[in-house]
Amino acid sequence: MTAEHCREWRQSLGALALGQLPEAERVALEAHLEGCPGCRAELASLASVARLMPLADPERFGAAPAPPAALGKRIAASIRSERRAQQRRRLRLRIALGGATAAAAAAALLAIFALPDGGSTPGQQVAFDSLPPGMTIDATLQPHAFGTEIHMYVKGVRSGTLCRVFLRGTGGARLPAGSFRYRWGEDSQAVLSSALDLSAARAIGVRVGNQTFVAPIDTGGAAGNGNPNQEDA
Amino acid sequence: MTPGALTDERDVRDAYAAHAGELYGFALRSLGDSGLAEEAVQETFLRAWRAGERFDPQIGSLRTWLFAILHNVVIDLGRARAARPAVAEGGVEPSVEPFDEALLAWQLEEAMRRIGEQHRRVLVETYYRGRPYAEVAAELGVPEGTIKSRVYYGLRALRVALEEIGYDG
Repeated sequence: MTAEHCREWRQSLGALALGQLPEAERVALEAHLEGCPGCRAELASLASVARLMPLADPERFGAAPAPPAALGKRIAASIRSERRAQQRRRLRLRIALGGATAAAAAAALLAIFALPDGGSTPGQQVAFDSLPPGMTIDATLQPHAFGTEIHMYVKGVRSGTLCRVFLRGTGGARLPAGSFRYRWGEDSQAVLSSALDLSAARAIGVRVGNQTFVAPIDTGGAAGNGNPNQEDA
Repeated sequence: MTPGALTDERDVRDAYAAHAGELYGFALRSLGDSGLAEEAVQETFLRAWRAGERFDPQIGSLRTWLFAILHNVVIDLGRARAARPAVAEGGVEPSVEPFDEALLAWQLEEAMRRIGEQHRRVLVETYYRGRPYAEVAAELGVPEGTIKSRVYYGLRALRVALEEIGYDG
């Protein structure tokens, strides 16, 4: 049966789908549907729409409410700030002194010591490399009037391990910057602070259990003027 | 990185321009509160951006992906709201529709906004107001058969609009 032939019937399918067809017309149309797969398929398609009709609220068919104009800007701003934080984490120097000798350590520092120029945002990312397999340490340093705020992420050591953080100043002295315990499965980021000014900090270290890991801090600004430290870890 | 992935701030801006209206409209419909709806949309774009590299246009449309994220955000917000202590004296906690039902309702309402005025009008008059075809025909000054055919073409237009906005029922 062609669509042309069914045209008349088709016009009634909407009313049928919505239960609006007078009895006599309904009976006749249903008789046609018995023998017409095309019209049956069309009815099924309309019925899937008709099924939703009772859910909708006709009061809401008018203009859709628009989001406030400031929302887009707010989202862009929060993404920007999150991206900056992420970049700080990515711009890593992978330096660690684990079990290395002092001489090798110094050489490693010399070799890898330069932060990418783009890292001019307030927070500074340092990273530790040559860690035991499965272990990760990252640190972000934030300058403040009071000194330096340190966010440290440690992962991959035994749960409950004590981690003691220190900064090394220009003179080479260690200044303790607090301690935390790594807990498996918990949020492993610790927030610590030190009175040492970030501009005066040359390296950051953490003693994890009985091993010490150190990463240099680039204080040379965009020029990446490295000033490697002898390390006695 | 997948081409088309949502990793750039510009990608997010484009996605916002294209879909924020619908997402907000739906969030508002679903949460019944403009503050919560804004929060939901903001969280949706943040999550989308964080997971941006996993978005693959080969697999599904950006719109579908964003709605899937919004789905989770709305559920989280609903949970947070449920966990809050009882509403202060006299306050009435807005009822939260089941998500799927709210989504379907919103989709139909959105589809209604997209079809022609003539079609929407006959559907509202005959279906939602339950008025006889003859009465609506007289009011509009058209034959009764025209009302019947507008109901038919109106439903078809709704079907197309629904498919456009992702309804696959």
